[in-house]
Amino acid sequence: MGGHDAGSQHQFTGFAKYFNAYTMVGRRNCVLATYASLAAIGLFFKLKPKKQAAVTEK
Amino acid sequence: MTLSFFDQFSSPMFLGIPLMALAIMLPWIMFPTPSSRWINNRMLTLQNWFINLFTKQLLLPLNTAGHKWALIFASLMIFLISLNMLGLLPYTFTPTTQLSLNMGLAVPLWLATVIIGMRNQPTHSLGHLLPEGTPVPLIPVLIIIETISLFIRPIALGVRLTANLTAGHLLIQLIATAAFVLMPLMPTIALLTTVLLFLLTLLEVAVAMIQAYVFVLLLSLYLQENV
Repeated sequence: MGGHDAGSQHQFTGFAKYFNAYTMVGRRNCVLATYASLAAIGLFFKLKPKKQAAVTEK
Repeated sequence: MTLSFFDQFSSPMFLGIPLMALAIMLPWIMFPTPSSRWINNRMLTLQNWFINLFTKQLLLPLNTAGHKWALIFASLMIFLISLNMLGLLPYTFTPTTQLSLNMGLAVPLWLATVIIGMRNQPTHSLGHLLPEGTPVPLIPVLIIIETISLFIRPIALGVRLTANLTAGHLLIQLIATAAFVLMPLMPTIALLTTVLLFLLTLLEVAVAMIQAYVFVLLLSLYLQENV
């Protein structure tokens, strides 16, 4: 499948150099960052300590 | 024993012996064996012509690395088209109406294309999950959507073939039953129903060939992205 961008006409600097939607490397990094974020969110909720309900005296 | 319209889709058994393997192997014995003669007979020439034409057409968009899949694509096409066409004969069993068979073909082949892509060119394979030029706020959403669509591909491949074949066979049986039942009651309507049945059978012949082709074509497209 042709048409992927070699990135020669896009000159990004800084953060956009590594995370953009135009170059193949930029797109790959965005995908990996999204997957890492989702994994981190999942891990956070899995490892979050559950609050115990307060015991009230009768 | 009460017959239902779905009996034609039940796995064939004879005295408790499953005949599924025989049903799947049946097309193999019907094709002429390739020979090493310079000029072959008509059947073999026709078969070779069709396989060459189909394989050349399918492999046009693929690069050299993808040409390794020529044999598997050609044999898959012959397998599916022969199973589909044989199933249109009355009182025959069509193995491609079974979801298990179609998923058994779709999932490993799709997974092979994904693994080849991830192994040989991981940057391109992962990069394809984000369409080029996506606006920044939409990037995470689109990545999730593309990932879901990637995993839905084998399910869609298998279910598309199953549903098309099953629906077609069911329609043929329904309309044939209607024509048969209406014959003593309303002969004119029965005749119209028979004409409809004839047209539907022609449609099913086309669907049988097209669905086999679409299955193999989509697999070649998935391979194109990854090779």
